[in-house]
Amino acid sequence: MQRSFFTLLLLAIALIHAHGQDSLFVRQHYMKQEHRIVMRDGAELFTVVYIPRDNSEQHPIMLTRTPYSVGPYGPENYLRFLSNLQRKYFERNYIMVYQDVRGRFMSGGEFVNVRPYIPNKKSNKDIDETTDTYDTVDWLVKNIPNNNGRVGVKGISYPGFYTTMATIDAHPAVKATSPQAPVSKWMAGDDFFHNGAFLVSHAFDFYVRFGWPRPAPTTMDFRPFDPGTPDGYQFYMDLGPLSNANTLYMKDSVAFWNDIMKHGKWDAFWEARDVFPHVKNLKPATLVVGGWFDAENLYGALNLYQNIEQKNKNHENMLVMGPWAHGWWAANAVDSLGPIKFGMNLSDFFADSLELPFFEHHLRGKAKPSIAEATVFETGANRWRRFDTWPPKNVRTRQLYFRENGRLSFAHPEPGLDEYDEYWNDPAKPVPYTNEITRWYNPAFMLEDQRFAARRPDVLVYTTDPLEEDLTIAGPITADLIVSTSGSDCDWIVKVIDVFPNDTPDPATYPFKAKFGGYQMLVRGDVLRGKFRNSLANPASFIPDTLTKVSFVLQDAFHTFKKGHRIMVQIQSSWFPLVDRNPGKFLDIYSARESDYQATRQRVYRTPINPSFLRLMVLE
Amino acid sequence: MRRSFSVVSLLVMFLLPQNVQAQGDFDVRQHYVKHEYMVPMRDGVKLFTAVYVPKDTSKQYPIMMMRTPYSVGPYGADKYRATLGPSKLFDRDGYIFVHQDIRGKFMSEGRYAYHAPIKREKKTNKDTDHSTDTYDTIEWLLANIRHHNGRVGIWGISYPGFLAALSLVDSHPALKAVSPQAPMGDTFIGDDFHHNGAFFLAHAFGWLAGTAPARSNREAATSRRAGFDYGTPDGYRFFLELGPLSNVESRYFQGAVPTWTEFMQHGTYDEYWRSRNVPQHMNRVKPAVMTVAGWFDSEDPWGAANIYRSVESKNPGVFNMIVWGPWLHGGWARMDGDTLGYARFGSKTSLWYREQVELKFFRSLLKDGRTPDLPETWAFMTGGNEWRSFSAWPPREAAARPLYLHPDGLASFSPPASSAGAFREFVSDPAKPVPFTAVTTTRMGHLFMVEDQRFASTRPDVLVYESDVLDRDITIAGPIEVTLHVSTSGTDCDWIVKLIDVFPGDAPDPEPNPAGVKMGHFQMLIGAEVMRSKFRNSLEHPEPMKPGEVTKIVYNIPDKFHRFRKGHRIMVQIQSTWFPLVDRNPGTFTDIYKASAADFRPTTQRVYSGGTARSSLKLLVLD
Repeated sequence: MQRSFFTLLLLAIALIHAHGQDSLFVRQHYMKQEHRIVMRDGAELFTVVYIPRDNSEQHPIMLTRTPYSVGPYGPENYLRFLSNLQRKYFERNYIMVYQDVRGRFMSGGEFVNVRPYIPNKKSNKDIDETTDTYDTVDWLVKNIPNNNGRVGVKGISYPGFYTTMATIDAHPAVKATSPQAPVSKWMAGDDFFHNGAFLVSHAFDFYVRFGWPRPAPTTMDFRPFDPGTPDGYQFYMDLGPLSNANTLYMKDSVAFWNDIMKHGKWDAFWEARDVFPHVKNLKPATLVVGGWFDAENLYGALNLYQNIEQKNKNHENMLVMGPWAHGWWAANAVDSLGPIKFGMNLSDFFADSLELPFFEHHLRGKAKPSIAEATVFETGANRWRRFDTWPPKNVRTRQLYFRENGRLSFAHPEPGLDEYDEYWNDPAKPVPYTNEITRWYNPAFMLEDQRFAARRPDVLVYTTDPLEEDLTIAGPITADLIVSTSGSDCDWIVKVIDVFPNDTPDPATYPFKAKFGGYQMLVRGDVLRGKFRNSLANPASFIPDTLTKVSFVLQDAFHTFKKGHRIMVQIQSSWFPLVDRNPGKFLDIYSARESDYQATRQRVYRTPINPSFLRLMVLE
Repeated sequence: MRRSFSVVSLLVMFLLPQNVQAQGDFDVRQHYVKHEYMVPMRDGVKLFTAVYVPKDTSKQYPIMMMRTPYSVGPYGADKYRATLGPSKLFDRDGYIFVHQDIRGKFMSEGRYAYHAPIKREKKTNKDTDHSTDTYDTIEWLLANIRHHNGRVGIWGISYPGFLAALSLVDSHPALKAVSPQAPMGDTFIGDDFHHNGAFFLAHAFGWLAGTAPARSNREAATSRRAGFDYGTPDGYRFFLELGPLSNVESRYFQGAVPTWTEFMQHGTYDEYWRSRNVPQHMNRVKPAVMTVAGWFDSEDPWGAANIYRSVESKNPGVFNMIVWGPWLHGGWARMDGDTLGYARFGSKTSLWYREQVELKFFRSLLKDGRTPDLPETWAFMTGGNEWRSFSAWPPREAAARPLYLHPDGLASFSPPASSAGAFREFVSDPAKPVPFTAVTTTRMGHLFMVEDQRFASTRPDVLVYESDVLDRDITIAGPIEVTLHVSTSGTDCDWIVKLIDVFPGDAPDPEPNPAGVKMGHFQMLIGAEVMRSKFRNSLEHPEPMKPGEVTKIVYNIPDKFHRFRKGHRIMVQIQSTWFPLVDRNPGTFTDIYKASAADFRPTTQRVYSGGTARSSLKLLVLD
């Protein structure tokens, strides 16, 4: 897989008229039905149900709700392509149910992006995704023949959000759910926003296809978009200020894009779309799944797991984190990402040891599998580990300091004349987030060789000596920086990197790109939009050239820096076009003009009094 | 010329072309007898010489000779090369082929001088050089090899091309046809190890580490030196961690590479370099000459152009021509020539050259004794993808049109309206030099000459000037004169100017496309050159820059023949580092070869565009 999950969905839709062996298999073993299930407010949701022809016993139901289409449409058109994982459910005679969510494709009603949860529902008009799921499940268990009264729900990405919603105020028949890479808290860390910074290429790519009005039910609810170049960096530079996206392309027709542009900080709009406050009193068991290299919903997976843990006692809630890009656990025979090989078929392990046993137990009463609280893949060492908490209990926080001459050390800075490192960040020449020329985001960028960035004058590089023994980090990474900028706002991007030894042999399967000698593997990178350093709700300007404390949490990592490797940290103030450009001025960036963008001088201090460092959770 | 690790690959590429040159399965063993001789020179030193004579002795044959420092192996009279001449076409056609190890290399006696001074006045038999060795060898061959027709031709690529050029100096009367191909002409001005005095670090280090060490014993004579072990595949990192150039001697060479040691003692264009310049000696030329050059030759672009020009200007009556193709260094001999990197040329340009030009040239002169029916210039137009013949190079009909660099980043044939003092600036930091390639490699290689420059244009230390989308084709032919009005905050610095063809956004990707290259908005490098500021007025007498003072710098980007097609854009990039292709300039007026790490400082670089301080590229445009 070389593209985002969303791209794959588009591809799947494009393939609607093909026929294959999978179609034959499904047709031989299943009957397909299409239903318009009536919700409590009268809206009809288009629902496809595949019912096993085998009626020798009662079968569980597996439900996925999606905004990306349940096609192929038409009772005679059967699924043409089954992933390895999906096939396992069909082979086990699950009743497979796919539903277009309200307002998408063939369903009635109005679509609302990450529709807010209504805590106190007063009437049948107070609907949300929990009620739509409830009503759907209620209809299914009552109307689908031969069901065993138990329902599972799963979904990846946006469907992961619907899965979370299926878990809240769940119908009693819903026994288990698996939110996978779930969209959970926009503005803070999922998809289009990290710490208030806008992930422009992902957001634009998505909404310029997904966000158009749908006046009536349709089987094709995406609009193609041709950016006119395969070069995303060029496209987004040519785009100029964000307001041009609407002016040039969306022309006031993509409502949610305009909503984003109107809500440049954490406010009631975003608060209503935050799922975390509502994941309490959960009844279904939950298996939360995410990928360490998921550029879209790593935040959602890690934080949904933690929120469910904190808000529910004596609740079966487990975490699976593998070395995957977005949704790749559901793809066939994944054993690598970019040039990095993980040494095993990760997909089969996930299907056969985790997801299937989880649902087989809860939905069919099979023996309780021994799935650990946290099944997490240790990158670098390339092995699965099982823990009874995440992060593991036996971690110790260690501070890794930025030092003089580009050194990185566990030793605190010593007094010296040299107080800071500096660079100019020029929004006219932002640091690329990837060395690939690509229109879509490059799914392997999260472990891409960072040498292309280390060579730039606008990237600070700090490196440890070669490690004398393995060092494993497990859990979130916190960047504690003392910085200044000559402007009044700016971004801070911190990247934690594993530098391979010079004599590391090259990968066998990536001949064109990768040289592993001295490879700078991105382990974790994240961005803070400086004005949000204290609060997403109350942005604060920087006082130019004044020392300012900036602290933010990079997402969790579980990585072993092997003996002989080095730890590197890179600091930069642009990461383009993954993140939109910060004008260097404290203002509403969504309404900034081209003339607002200015170069700023960025400094990172590293004195005994004003040290800058990372806090790592080191596994002992 | 090639670097250390590539001695082996060079042998494969140039001298054992059986693997790549699939022009039939002609078996030279069936048609030629091989002899090995130690041919005595006038000073008594004997040179190892392999002679392949046609088995068919019913005819007389011309002699085709190639002299080389890279070995004439395989050694042994029963061991044959798969290809004997410049191409298989010659093997079929029938010549006496002579391959000679030059003095001091492999199986030849004597002392190797990588690049000895060229002396026209010989006083005694001890005064030998490549020219006298060539002369003596021809004399011996005519007297000792049977069935020759009394006519001799010489060809060679790169260092052997330089040797071919030197055969023109006081040449033997039997020498009738010479083809210097990518010959090095002056390695301070523009070939191999320096361009305009800027040191070509990666190439010089790699090549000299492999080819120039002093020979310690005869046992090593038939073996090839192992490549230098960089300890990393990452040349950018290797050379950055190397620090100042003086560390090469202390860490690695320690006097074992005399040529390096000499280079480090001659940081200006002094007698050492002047005495080694080849084009100045291209007077009194008697044989017909065909120079071959590649538009994308990273090693010897200057020598080819200037040996051709020198022969042309100094020898009005001599048949003298040049062939320019879309080739990397030696690509005409070892590749089909239909692609280079991601550039597509629409036909097999190398095959065409070998059949229609190279064979014709030698056969006509050596077999028929006639002047060949070939034009003054054959030149392949990249971008337009066609061969054109011209009666002069650059073409007389080409008109000079300055492409102005505007202060807002526009490149335009109209001058900027802005007033005096308009400039764009960047900081050049020798601690973070601009890479010359996006590929992780220790080699200079070739493909950086046509590489996508997007990796550079995103950097803050690279100025980008871009034309509007072209509404018609623009075809340029000839050298490109760069005029810069610049300033630096230091007292020395480098200027690198790159001419780039920007493809349209919908340019199709290659098929198949295993590397996943994206041709939409591809920034294809067409030509580039560096000027070390202190040499802007004279390579002999370097002058410091005055900090902050606007200074005019004029120099040439080597010849190109390229069509920027309608719908494309012309881009110019300006930067002050090009690493590790070119060593880092410390930003201080000093002998860089003796600089210390502390001497290297960032400088603020300004390129002016307004008033009389305009900066431009003078393109020679064909309409």
